[in-house]
Amino acid sequence: MTKQTIGHVLPEERDEIQALFERRNGLNELAKILTSDNAELYERLVKDMGETSTKFQQWWNRMGEKYQWESSENGSWEIDFNDCTIYLVTQE
Amino acid sequence: MSQPFVPKTAWKSGVAKTITFIVTKDCQLACKYCYLVGKNEKERMSWTTAKAAIDYILAHEDFFKEESVIWDFIGGEPFLEIELIDKICDYLKTEMFRLDHHWFNSYRFSFSTNGINYDSPKVQNFITKNHSHLSIGITIDGTPRKHDLNRVWKGNGEKGSYLDVVRNIPLWLSQFPEAGTKVTISSADIPYICESVLHLFSLGIHEVNINVVFENVWHNGDDEAFEKQLMDLADAIIDNGYYQDFTCSFFSELIGKPLDIERDNQNWCGAGRMLAIDAAGNFYPCTRFAAYSLRNKKPIIIGNITDGIDSDKLRPFLTLDRKTQSSQECLDCEIASGCAWCQGENYDAASTSTIFQRSMAICRMHKARVRANNYYWNKLYRKIELEADICTKNTNCGLC
Amino acid sequence: MLKYLIILLDKSSIPFCHYDRKGSDCGLISVDNLKEAIKFGMKENLMIQFVYPEYDLPNEYLPIIDSIDHINIKPFIQAGKDDICVINISDAGELIQQIKHDTVVVRGTICEFSHNINLFKNLIYNVGRVNVVLTSLTQTQNIEISLYSKFLDETVDYIVSETKKGRMLPKLNILTDRLTLDKMNNCNAGTETITIGPNGKFYICPGFYHDSDTDIELNGLDLTIPNKRLYELDKAPICRECDAFQCHRCIWINKKRTNEVNTPSHNQCVISHYERNASLKLLSKLRENGPFLKGVSIPVLDYLDPFEKIINK
Repeated sequence: MTKQTIGHVLPEERDEIQALFERRNGLNELAKILTSDNAELYERLVKDMGETSTKFQQWWNRMGEKYQWESSENGSWEIDFNDCTIYLVTQE
Repeated sequence: MSQPFVPKTAWKSGVAKTITFIVTKDCQLACKYCYLVGKNEKERMSWTTAKAAIDYILAHEDFFKEESVIWDFIGGEPFLEIELIDKICDYLKTEMFRLDHHWFNSYRFSFSTNGINYDSPKVQNFITKNHSHLSIGITIDGTPRKHDLNRVWKGNGEKGSYLDVVRNIPLWLSQFPEAGTKVTISSADIPYICESVLHLFSLGIHEVNINVVFENVWHNGDDEAFEKQLMDLADAIIDNGYYQDFTCSFFSELIGKPLDIERDNQNWCGAGRMLAIDAAGNFYPCTRFAAYSLRNKKPIIIGNITDGIDSDKLRPFLTLDRKTQSSQECLDCEIASGCAWCQGENYDAASTSTIFQRSMAICRMHKARVRANNYYWNKLYRKIELEADICTKNTNCGLC
Repeated sequence: MLKYLIILLDKSSIPFCHYDRKGSDCGLISVDNLKEAIKFGMKENLMIQFVYPEYDLPNEYLPIIDSIDHINIKPFIQAGKDDICVINISDAGELIQQIKHDTVVVRGTICEFSHNINLFKNLIYNVGRVNVVLTSLTQTQNIEISLYSKFLDETVDYIVSETKKGRMLPKLNILTDRLTLDKMNNCNAGTETITIGPNGKFYICPGFYHDSDTDIELNGLDLTIPNKRLYELDKAPICRECDAFQCHRCIWINKKRTNEVNTPSHNQCVISHYERNASLKLLSKLRENGPFLKGVSIPVLDYLDPFEKIINK
């Protein structure tokens, strides 16, 4: 695995994706305990998971477009929340 | 292309509200340096109390405006109450989501454990269920002789707990590779500091947070012995290159500098910005103000689950600053930065019932730490400088 | 530096500030303790203020009290013209025309002042100076601040109208003191004032004598005030940022409500700011009639509690 710096985002852009990241994790862990017995909340959860996932992907698409980050076939982008750095991580 | 993330370092440091549930005052151990003077097996938090506390807190979003929250669980030993904790965490997740509370997007569950029942099925199930929101610190003090000097089993004479803890370290590190441990130093531990920190590194723990106790337990000569231990540790870390992968909080470039009386006037401690809840449903500005933590003073209760928080009781905590609580000697100190204090210990040791009197019990220990810290950085910078010098002369030096 | 010594002559001495009496029992200071207390005051160069009960003191006490220059704080029924006279606003009804003293302390709750505003208006022009002291401020529930605001506004309007008629500005702590102050002028218990109770022991102020919950203990007649620095303005993080200079800054209410002698409660700050803002209103209205107190300026603030200013820093 190699990891190279390919850019940075603004702190407010970082905050946006960090909140989505946290929400996605929260929804995933909530899904482990929420059952369809609680119909109303369960439906809200399922809907929210879909929406959050979409927003999450849209952020990467939007930023990739904006900053024109380098990409590769077998690689993925990562962000360091502490310093807003974007990495390209490539599996060798 | 998938896009995973790499979150690093202390989570939301400074912007998260820490809310601590004192779920039990019981512990399997009876550590000799433990500040909890009133531990017992009776005061266990009930689900009714925990739920009422959560309902109060989540219903008052206007009062709890911090963008993030750390739901913290302590004891005694918190994992003795894993079933209650599991129920609390499930309820928190459900309620934060149901209420569309802003904390659903930014929370952690935090634990400080002695590690003894870390591998139990109930604890492990809990970890699996909540892994991405967990911060778990296991306390291990160092080498067997250092650890067992203080961390002994309750009611079992001098039986140390090292072996019962160390067996769980690999599992813990496999689940939380970035996790750190917290080491506490009292007078009797001083001769073992260097070997203990190195031992923890050898166990694969990359971050060792270590501090001397704030209580007035220090004897003449402790500062010199402490300084020598830190110098030995500095030599070992630098000579063996551990500084590249490991950190020990004793050494920091930020400590030992003078502080400006106006600009550097903030309080050290977060008491009052945190909230602790005990089994009786009382609220405290920090666990250190609960009765079981105090030797000499009455607890400072700032409210309860029925009446809510009395914000007048919080005003002193939220307006505390360095200038108001420090002696002139501390204000004039030329190496003041990094000299920490615990508001609860200040209160407990103060000559009146006030949080505005800073204890100076660690003064000589801080000075010793600063001397060793200066040595560490001078030695490390010189080493790096010399290596850089070699690099410029020989690009195949092997150091780069 | 200490300047004043308050000597409570009896357990039932008239409460003249925010505190209330422990009970109605009498308990006279002993002659020996009284002599010792006076001797202390003389040696420390302190101005002594004796606080009297409602009954007549035994004759043997009077020459001892008169052995030193002093001020008397007495209940209305005991007070002579030169004494500081203490009365509750709710008791003032029929007596109002008889109150002609130089200085009157008028005590009461916000509701009591609000209900008796006409009596109060009469009083402020009858006497040399009125010190309003609000009671029941240690309770946790919300105070009737809108009533107090209305009371202050009405009093301001009344003073303005009387001034237009040519009457002199009265001396009223909650409205006129702030007009001429350029720094804090507080109670200063613990720094300038100390109290000796009828048991012969020192207290920070009479409030601490009457309230055993506030656990500040001074050691008998050995006057060493532990953590004395905390009574100083410079060591009060909220008060040192504040310009409600007329505020009592009551150390006893501080301790009672916030656990700390140097930290005021929210209510104490808000009340003082309503008074301060009413002083500003009074100043502005008086200036509509022509120049008045040239050079005095009270800025407009966007908070009622300086705690907010500190927290938002």
